[in-house]
Amino acid sequence: MGSHPWREGAKAAAPIVLGYLPVGVAFGVLARRAGLAPSEAGLMSFLVYAGSSQFIAVELISEGITWFPIVVTTFFVNLRHLLMSSTVSLYLKKEPLRILTLVGAQLTDESFAVAMSQPSKIQNRSRYLFGLQVTSHCAWIGGSVGGAVFGSLIDHEGYGLPFALPGLFICLLVLQIKSLRHVWLMIVAGLLSLFFKWLVPGNWYIVMAALLTSGIGVALRTRKTGHRESEGSV
Amino acid sequence: MAIVTFFSRFLPMVLLSRRALPEKVKWGLEYIPVAVLSAIVFPILFFDRKGALTLQPQFLFAALPVFIFAWKVKSIWGSVVLGMFIFWGLGFLL
Repeated sequence: MGSHPWREGAKAAAPIVLGYLPVGVAFGVLARRAGLAPSEAGLMSFLVYAGSSQFIAVELISEGITWFPIVVTTFFVNLRHLLMSSTVSLYLKKEPLRILTLVGAQLTDESFAVAMSQPSKIQNRSRYLFGLQVTSHCAWIGGSVGGAVFGSLIDHEGYGLPFALPGLFICLLVLQIKSLRHVWLMIVAGLLSLFFKWLVPGNWYIVMAALLTSGIGVALRTRKTGHRESEGSV
Repeated sequence: MAIVTFFSRFLPMVLLSRRALPEKVKWGLEYIPVAVLSAIVFPILFFDRKGALTLQPQFLFAALPVFIFAWKVKSIWGSVVLGMFIFWGLGFLL
């Protein structure tokens, strides 16, 4: 018996499931209130699978706004996945196109964060990533349909549920810190994100803060290596 | 919505997984997880739901113990459950 990357991935998704179920339910409730049927809410969660832009879409639909602004907003809200997808791609060098298509389609903030908490597990192991992402996706769809059907019966704001995903993100952030430089970059990115969120409307703050921080990190590292080289040559 | 979301998740996967990247780009991508996660977490603690910059005491006071717990114990499940429990309790206090 070898290891089961699929099942291992599915297990790693457990904290995501805990977070996605209540948020999915909240989405289902709002979708229903905006006039979508449970099947439509479920279909949107299946096809789009992007929390914040689905909430925005439902909000815009309830205001009677047509498809074009919704699509444009969705595009910009999810541009941050360009960065995450780029990072994950480093670990999937030998995978065929159809695998990359499936893995890419299901990439979310949460699955990215869990995957990157143990990058060695996804190194050329797309099945682990599959298990992780399919499980998370199912929780999201299940929560959405459940919320749309039974919405008013479920208290998705109780029992600390609003903190499930923030708690997950905090832990995954901590797990990413492997050196003093990471601590500084965390602080820089945090402050920049607050500044950009305050300055620029929409979801741009994640992309802006992350790119700038990563650039600062590279600049610091370049300078340091440069120093070492010149010291060596003298 | 599905198509544009798919685009930003899929395209870099294909383009970047198929070529060798310069060293500096690799360094940059190495810092993306810390930077992205931090940029997601901080605004949760300092912005309210309407997007106004204010302290969020219930989130902050739940975040600090989770941060320390995650640092010491390194357990994802434990952190999530502990955070929810503290957040729930704070709901009665604040």
